[in-house]
Amino acid sequence: MSTAQLLKNRAEFEDKIRKLIGRPVLLIELDMFALPCGCSGITANTRGLEVDDLEVFEQQLLPRLKEMATNLDIKPSIIFARLVPGSSIVASLNWRTLCTRCYPEFARGEGKMPRPDLYLLQFERRK
Amino acid sequence: MIAITVKAMKLFVPSPGHINSLKELLKEKEKIYSIFMAGSPDYIGTGRSNLASPQLEDIAAQTEYAHKHGVRMEMVLNSSCMGGRQLTPEGYRINHWYIEKLVDIGIDSIVVADPYLVETIARDFDVDVVVSVLAFVDSPQKADFYVNLGAKSIVIDSNVNGHFDVLHAIRDSVDCELKLLVNEGCLYRCPFRYAHFNFFSHAFGPEPRPNVLDDYYYYKCLELRIAEPELIIKSGWIRPEDIKLYRDITDVFKIGGRTHFVDWILNCVNAYHNESYEGNLMDLLDCPKDLKDLFYIPNKSLDGVLEKQWKNCRKVCKKCGYCKTLTKKVTQVYTKGGTEFESLAPLEVNA
Repeated sequence: MSTAQLLKNRAEFEDKIRKLIGRPVLLIELDMFALPCGCSGITANTRGLEVDDLEVFEQQLLPRLKEMATNLDIKPSIIFARLVPGSSIVASLNWRTLCTRCYPEFARGEGKMPRPDLYLLQFERRK
Repeated sequence: MIAITVKAMKLFVPSPGHINSLKELLKEKEKIYSIFMAGSPDYIGTGRSNLASPQLEDIAAQTEYAHKHGVRMEMVLNSSCMGGRQLTPEGYRINHWYIEKLVDIGIDSIVVADPYLVETIARDFDVDVVVSVLAFVDSPQKADFYVNLGAKSIVIDSNVNGHFDVLHAIRDSVDCELKLLVNEGCLYRCPFRYAHFNFFSHAFGPEPRPNVLDDYYYYKCLELRIAEPELIIKSGWIRPEDIKLYRDITDVFKIGGRTHFVDWILNCVNAYHNESYEGNLMDLLDCPKDLKDLFYIPNKSLDGVLEKQWKNCRKVCKKCGYCKTLTKKVTQVYTKGGTEFESLAPLEVNA
């Protein structure tokens, strides 16, 4: 993984989202992260993306999200959007390989929104 | 007493707040009338985000340095909400103590947004009191009110920067200095304005400070502008080329942007000093700075629009549509940003 790949993927993913929803969206920052608990992944901070876009275009968005993970060699157990609760704002898209400690927090409960600030796009439940 | 160099345009320039920034800024001292910066958040705080927390010794050193270079120093204490603390005996004592120290240091002017602070500072201290843009002075009546409280200078609400009738009415009503904030890119008549500045005032004021993960107002502001870029065009900024149209109102102009790099600030200083800028209008706007990587609006493409259209605008956007059409015509969108394939595309392709 190089920063050149991050730059390339940031730009390409932004372009794909714009084409999908038909208006400019800004992927203001694409980060790769590792947490002390053992979780790792990437985060794309978004501006101009709305919750409605997720709901309307989820089926079309998902393959693009998976492609992004493949391009950056991430094997996410969960892909989710972080929202500003009570608003239309999507603050970020997140691809996360969950550690054993954090997995139960996401796994408990059902539905798309386990917390008011989370919108699940994909979640691989362990057997 | 300091010797201030006489300059054709009085330009108030932001400083991020530490001595290194100030030294870099004052390499262009001949273009700068006054530096302004925030003080410590532990006392009154400010209504905008802030990078530094200069203590009194730092402020004293920076004030001395500015004065040595013939430039005035202004402190911004323009919290729009102090939760009533300023009216308590303890708040009064602490605020007075802090302002007394600033005055002893030799600060030339203090910017406040609260009418009570305008009156109390003007009454009790020998320092120029400036009414902040966050006091939202948008009428002759409000301006007169603040002058009667003791204000020496008023930063006019940038919402009326394009309302020449109001600006002239204010000019005709008061004798004090009037300042225009030239590069605030906030939404015209922004509905978030009060809530956002109150939030900032607590986040960048005394403890307890809210631990906020996401700034709803900022994100929403960006969301609206990305969906409707004409909202950028409609906001109350003044282009460097249009400064000349304000000369019968004032010769005092303020550049916003104390959370930016010095290089960005000096780019604005040069643009406004030269009254001309060749690049992206977004380069000059203090807020929303994030959108400069999305939109390219050639500044020169707006030559003459203020005189021809906006000076007489009645603000009935739904019937008019001029700004929407203009935005489509001049705005370009960055695609493949940050890569070798980066290019600009017309807005319509991306809309």
